[in-house]
Amino acid sequence: MSDLLETSLSSRHQDLGAKMAPFAGFNMPLQYSSVKEESKAVRESVGVFDVSHMGEFFVEGEDAIKFVDYMLTNDFASAELQKAVYSPLCREDGTIIDDLIAYKLGDKKVLICVNAANIAKDYTWFEKHVGDFNCKLTNQSDDFSLLALQGPKSEEILKNLEVFPGQEFVYYSACEHSCSYGDLILARTGYTGEDGFEIFGSHESIQKLWDDLMKAGVVPCGLAARDVLRLEVGYPLYGHELSDDWTPLDAGLKWTVKMTKPEFLGKKFLEGYKPRYRLVKLSLDKGIPREGYEILNEQEEKIGWISSGTMSVALSKGIGIGLVEKDKFPENKVFKIKVRANAFAANYHAKAFVAGGHK
Amino acid sequence: MANEIPKNLKYTKDHEWALIEGDTVTVGITDFAQSQLGDIVFVELPEVGSELEAGGTFGVVESIKSVSDLYSPITGEVIDTNKDLEGEPEKCNETPYESWLIKIKCTQTADLEQLLSPEGYEKVCEE
Repeated sequence: MSDLLETSLSSRHQDLGAKMAPFAGFNMPLQYSSVKEESKAVRESVGVFDVSHMGEFFVEGEDAIKFVDYMLTNDFASAELQKAVYSPLCREDGTIIDDLIAYKLGDKKVLICVNAANIAKDYTWFEKHVGDFNCKLTNQSDDFSLLALQGPKSEEILKNLEVFPGQEFVYYSACEHSCSYGDLILARTGYTGEDGFEIFGSHESIQKLWDDLMKAGVVPCGLAARDVLRLEVGYPLYGHELSDDWTPLDAGLKWTVKMTKPEFLGKKFLEGYKPRYRLVKLSLDKGIPREGYEILNEQEEKIGWISSGTMSVALSKGIGIGLVEKDKFPENKVFKIKVRANAFAANYHAKAFVAGGHK
Repeated sequence: MANEIPKNLKYTKDHEWALIEGDTVTVGITDFAQSQLGDIVFVELPEVGSELEAGGTFGVVESIKSVSDLYSPITGEVIDTNKDLEGEPEKCNETPYESWLIKIKCTQTADLEQLLSPEGYEKVCEE
């Protein structure tokens, strides 16, 4: 365990009795009380996740926005100031290096938040291309802690702590914000489908804020609940639905690839690309889809695999996202999932399993 | 966290308990096992009449995020399964020593001697 990195809140998690587990090189809280209680808290009230393992890059200077827009498949240039944009980060051949959120903090300042497991890979990629632009790239991942406050009551909690920036701070807004906790970066983003905030700050600021959130009765939530919540609303996870081996167009992310943009890395290739896979959302009435389980058609031939699966707390049934080979996608939408020795009939979901309540 | 280990039962290193009554052995998972697994949401058990081997798998118990195999403590034939767990798998969390999984008719009595005493099992939990 000694090789694992700790977040600034590690001792607090252990004091709360969290079950810890290694994740992306960090010793992270998997669950505190129970996955069920934690995910319920986020859907019905409010919970908080320590996601300080995630990476923070800053791009500053005249060409900051231009550079980030060139690197991302989604349209960052047209986003308003103080808005966040979700996007894949792709190679020239369209394969996915990571998915991330870029925050337009100013006309010369961008924050990019990336997956912990991909910090080094992403930074190398950005660094390789930044030379052609008039801006400075820095990796400040070690200097920041990050909380995700999620759930319908999160606005109320931030108001009570006098951290809420104001009514105009709507879904996917982002800003720098000075308050009694110090200089924070706030964003109305998250990974649960509920209303909520992601709060970046110095380790000291975030420790202080965490303690006050605990005093306010906010439920501490671990990575297990986070995974259930994101799966219920159908959000992809790098290493599962997204990978170095395929493109955003294979994984249901066509809406994040903006061919109307004059130029971006991977555009040339993706323009003529015929997707190999199609993302499907399936549920079972009996049994639970798990990563790696085979997806079968009516004739019980293998046509794909489950990339993420779990028991849904909101629906009390097994749900899974999977990738199906595009040319084998059954028109009758009859799917089965192989659970150990059995092939169970699966329900096909055109929309997310759970709608989520974000504004 | 309470880790209750009843004195009237035998145990395995896989965190299962066994109640021996003549040649019938009732099997469940221990308090330690359920607390490690967290919220149990699905239990898959064998058909009555299945032949089990000591150490072989006989089913699975799934929590929200994990799948764990169940191992037969002895060799024998499944003579009953706890159907209540199909609808209420959370019983394994709430009352682990009442929520039995299967009953096995023991065909090799020597297997019974391999099971751990409560004291022996306590040591396994401390490891």
